Amino acid sequence: MISWRPSRPFDYILLVSGIALTVYGLLLIYSGSLASSGGSEPVLTGPVGRQVIFALMGLVACIAVSRMDYRFLAQGSIGLYFGLIAALVFVLTVGVQIYGSRRWIDIAGTHIQPSEIGKLIVILVLAKYLSDNSERVRDLSVFLTSLAIAVLPALLVFAEPDLGSATIFILIWLGMVMMAGADIRHILGTIGLVVAMAPFALIAVVTDYQRERVQLFFDPAKDALGSGFNILQAEISVGSGGLFGKGLTHGSQTQLDYLRTQSTDYIFSVLGEELGFVGAMILFALFMLLLLRGLRAAAISRDSFGRLVAIGVVIFILFQAFINIGVNIRLFPVTGIPLPFVSLGGSSLITVFIALGLLESVIVRHREVPL
Amino acid sequence: VGYSTGRKPWPSQPYQEVSDEALEVRRKVLYFGLLVLVVFGILTVQLARMQLLSGDRYQQRAETNRLRQVPLQPTRGLIYDRNGVPLVENQASFAAAVVAADVPEEDDTRIALALQGITGVPAGEITDEIQRRRQSNDPFTPALIKENLTPEMAFALRERLASLPGARVLIQPRRSYPAGPLMAHVLGYVGHINEEEYAELKDAGYLLNDQVGKTGIEHSYEALLRGKPGTQSVETDASGRELRILDQLPAQPGSSIVLSIDTQLQAKVTEILQNGMGRSRNAAAVVLDVNTGEVLALVSLPAYDNNVFTGEIDAQVLQQLLENPNKPLLDHAIAEMYAPGSTFKQVTGLAALQEGIANANTMITSRGYIEVPNQFDPKTIYTFKDWRSDLGTMNFYRGVAMSSDVYFYYLAGGFGDFQGLGAQRLADWARRFGLGEQTGIDLPGESEGLVPDPAWKRKTIGEDWLLGDTYNFGIGQGYVATTPLQMALVTAAVANGGNVLVPHLLKEVRDAAGNVTTPRLQTVRRNLGIDVRNLNTMREGMRQVVVDGSAPGGASRFTQVAGKTGTAEFGPQRPDGTYTEHGWFSGYAPFGAPEIAVTVYFEQGNGAGTAAPAAAKIFDYYFSRPNLAQAGQR
Repeated sequence: MISWRPSRPFDYILLVSGIALTVYGLLLIYSGSLASSGGSEPVLTGPVGRQVIFALMGLVACIAVSRMDYRFLAQGSIGLYFGLIAALVFVLTVGVQIYGSRRWIDIAGTHIQPSEIGKLIVILVLAKYLSDNSERVRDLSVFLTSLAIAVLPALLVFAEPDLGSATIFILIWLGMVMMAGADIRHILGTIGLVVAMAPFALIAVVTDYQRERVQLFFDPAKDALGSGFNILQAEISVGSGGLFGKGLTHGSQTQLDYLRTQSTDYIFSVLGEELGFVGAMILFALFMLLLLRGLRAAAISRDSFGRLVAIGVVIFILFQAFINIGVNIRLFPVTGIPLPFVSLGGSSLITVFIALGLLESVIVRHREVPL
Repeated sequence: VGYSTGRKPWPSQPYQEVSDEALEVRRKVLYFGLLVLVVFGILTVQLARMQLLSGDRYQQRAETNRLRQVPLQPTRGLIYDRNGVPLVENQASFAAAVVAADVPEEDDTRIALALQGITGVPAGEITDEIQRRRQSNDPFTPALIKENLTPEMAFALRERLASLPGARVLIQPRRSYPAGPLMAHVLGYVGHINEEEYAELKDAGYLLNDQVGKTGIEHSYEALLRGKPGTQSVETDASGRELRILDQLPAQPGSSIVLSIDTQLQAKVTEILQNGMGRSRNAAAVVLDVNTGEVLALVSLPAYDNNVFTGEIDAQVLQQLLENPNKPLLDHAIAEMYAPGSTFKQVTGLAALQEGIANANTMITSRGYIEVPNQFDPKTIYTFKDWRSDLGTMNFYRGVAMSSDVYFYYLAGGFGDFQGLGAQRLADWARRFGLGEQTGIDLPGESEGLVPDPAWKRKTIGEDWLLGDTYNFGIGQGYVATTPLQMALVTAAVANGGNVLVPHLLKEVRDAAGNVTTPRLQTVRRNLGIDVRNLNTMREGMRQVVVDGSAPGGASRFTQVAGKTGTAEFGPQRPDGTYTEHGWFSGYAPFGAPEIAVTVYFEQGNGAGTAAPAAAKIFDYYFSRPNLAQAGQR
């Protein structure tokens, strides 16, 4: 159905919007790290320099993946999946603990968070499984198998504990089975079951750590100088930015260290404070541009596998952004989800660039073998 | 980027037929597109609520975070006597403190032990304080370990500061009173603000650890002396570190106050009282300018050292002061009331003259007593004695000069055919003289004294007023009670032609810029409206008191004194039928052109024998020093 198209196989708009978000993030990391380094650490060899290197690595990975036939990745995805499960178990047993949770593997002094790249692996495995079984996708067995594929890593990251990432795994699965055309009754039934079991889960499964975070979400002032401090200060930072913000590197909350983890979890608060509502709208526009270009990849994919991969990637980036920003502006309780492309951190940045590479791979190949 | 569910494909593609499956895909992709828009829509709405609708509120909270208002303490104004002698000093006192944030945690014990060695404060208390502060939200504010370090302690601590990270020597202002007990009752003292004072004063910018005038002039003129605190807006980071001063409003130093008190006169009066006290548990004296109401000396004994209260108060010393039966903390010149005895005859006499009860030639005979039958039971006879039985027949002058009680029984209550003033008229006159109410002197804690009348007695004691009560009232005995200052004002009114003055200690105010202002103070409370003829009659009687009357000891070698003695019985009757007596003298000089009034009170003593000679010495001193005499003249 799709005609041969001679021009613009590679989606530069998609790539450029990703790079623009990364550059935007670098500005914010620069401003945020001025505060925590107290101005003495050379900034460019510090966090900003590291992030630039990660971005370059990500870009290389992106281009490499985009040149690879994504169907080749599908072949290896099962092996990657078992590797991921092993890595997540490894993290839980001997991982590095930061802020009360184990999410990282320490390799040569660098903390690697396998759950980030794991989200892409799950996307590939689900896409492969659902496209291989596209004829029987309305069968309960296929539905449940796909659910199991997502739930296993979700439970492992939930135990870290990382409720945010676990939620992302489930949302990726949900988006992909809907795209694959699963029986809507199965989906609603699963959602109904989860909602019905939620109260029990809160008692039995949710740890004190998570319960405390949820309590703090509703009343951060209860511990305004302790655990509630970050929540309150992030809210003040964003709110005080107003329409145009206080100017990059001129936010008092950011620069005087009232805002903590201002280069990672709360980087959006730096943006809100220093660049204001207008700055946030620019960020939103870049994200929307990137995500809609991602959906375009899904729309023009030549096969079901590529389409599912594209949808998985869009859901992944959309909800990482939604949850991260939502935490900053008091929509969600605290979870340690990075803001894609923007937050300081190699695992996340390289992962989202690989994700971009996957989208490009789908786009580049859509014309080669007409359906 | 555009999507459509219809058969219109990508804009770049030619219009063509598409399969149902492709349509289904596009429909789903459209839903995901809508999901993207909804998610960012939710974020935008919430962000707009925070940044656009509540932005101002959050900006304020961010400013509150960032800015710390650090108060700048003003320098307290000084106090001088009328000749420019400084009566207070602002000294620096040293305090040991620790800044918890600067103490390395592993060094807590070492530093606490070192501080214990220097200050004597137990190391356990110090480590507790460091740990408490470290966990509080302002570990940068120095925590006081010990105030008022001796210079040796301060020096020892300063020597070792380099090896004691976090330790500090703070310099705090401390008020000092060089004259100590001599001026304690006048000046009062400053001390740490207490909870009640803080509740009252916090709106005026007082802080919890501020000092405030507690009593005396320090209290009365607190608002002038304190000055105006300034503030520094300091930018602080999240851990409380002060980064830079953004704005500064300097503190305005307090105004200085010049008192009407003459320190040398005050010292002389104190010495004279001390020498005359005998068995008195307390004594007081007032020297007033009869024309202006300026208080030249105001002495109350025993005194206390007000320096005791400015630093850390020694509990034992405080206990001794509070438990001392002679009440050294009380200003006996203004805060306690005593039976005025015959000094009150100034009031009775002038009232009788002005009311036409008596004139200079009213002759009354004292046989040493008068007898009055009980109104209800005529067989019961009350006897009211004179202080001497040989006074004989007297005119008004001699009645005053000899201080005949019988003469004043007649004037107050009448006898036989002689019509007296009666209790109510006498009470009214006493009140017009300013008795029974505060004089309005610029010191706290003044007593009102007591002017009795029949209604008062019925209400307070529950008995009817008797004629005998009027007799006692007329000679300043019984229920009537005054402060020494009130009697000084009665005498000043006699001397100055009938003006009841408002006494004051404030003479001038000098603000920090050096501007001198003389405040417009109310000096005359009321004029008594007594005819000059009558005043002269009273004055002549009072002149004769010291010339050839009851109190020749009240005469001065340097001036002509007029005055009235008082010997007032008080307390329980002794086995021999006598009472313990207060000794009073209240007089003025020079007789012809009055300048000052002097009132002397001894808790135990005799008007003519104890008080009058003491007053005479005060007049001697005052009028033998020409420069002082001029200073008193306006």
